[in-house]
Amino acid sequence: MLLEILGIGWLTFGLFFCAIGVLGVLRMPDVYTRLHASGKVATLGLFGLLMGAVFLMPSIFLKVLALGLFILLTSPVATHAIAASEYRRKELVDEIAEMQHLDHEIKSVDVSAFLYSSNIKDIIEAQQRTHHNGENKKDDL
Amino acid sequence: MIESQFSQTTLQIILLAMIALLIPASYRVVVGAKLSDRLLAVDLITTLLIGIIVLFALIEGSETFIDMAIALAAFSFIGTISIARYISEGRVF
Repeated sequence: MLLEILGIGWLTFGLFFCAIGVLGVLRMPDVYTRLHASGKVATLGLFGLLMGAVFLMPSIFLKVLALGLFILLTSPVATHAIAASEYRRKELVDEIAEMQHLDHEIKSVDVSAFLYSSNIKDIIEAQQRTHHNGENKKDDL
Repeated sequence: MIESQFSQTTLQIILLAMIALLIPASYRVVVGAKLSDRLLAVDLITTLLIGIIVLFALIEGSETFIDMAIALAAFSFIGTISIARYISEGRVF
């Protein structure tokens, strides 16, 4: 009976942090802050659920330990990959914007549209088009 | 298998609450605003699904569901990494 109460206490702890994390992902303003919130679900929320599972069913201890260790290793890596991809994408778009600012003569495409574009090849094509137009203008002059 | 009625009912209530948490997470997938937001929300949904599978294993009293949770965690990690690489570099490999 004591083990069951302890287990349900841990499960409630995990559920609380899962709810906090989902609320954060729903309400936070930025990708990075949303990543902060979703990290709470992967570590504290699942940790609570797995502890509760061990208390309620001690026979699954080894499998739950393997699952917990795997999540503890992979979750920070996945979060870091998402944050780095967002940061590099922003850098690329900023670079294109700076290039367009330097080329006054070329009337090129609107950069802000590409922030929300689903395909990064659009951005790279726009970059190449800009280079190509610049060379043509120089030849004409 | 947990025998006591109290634990069984509480487990089912917690499982229902976890399933209800999937709805706001899928709202973030649909609305998104940016690609990284959608990827983050899919990652969050997979994490919640792992928790749901563990709870289901407790309710059913079966160890096999934990293996499913481990496999789901592994594939979710690979998928998140490859899509993040696609977002930043424009290609996966």
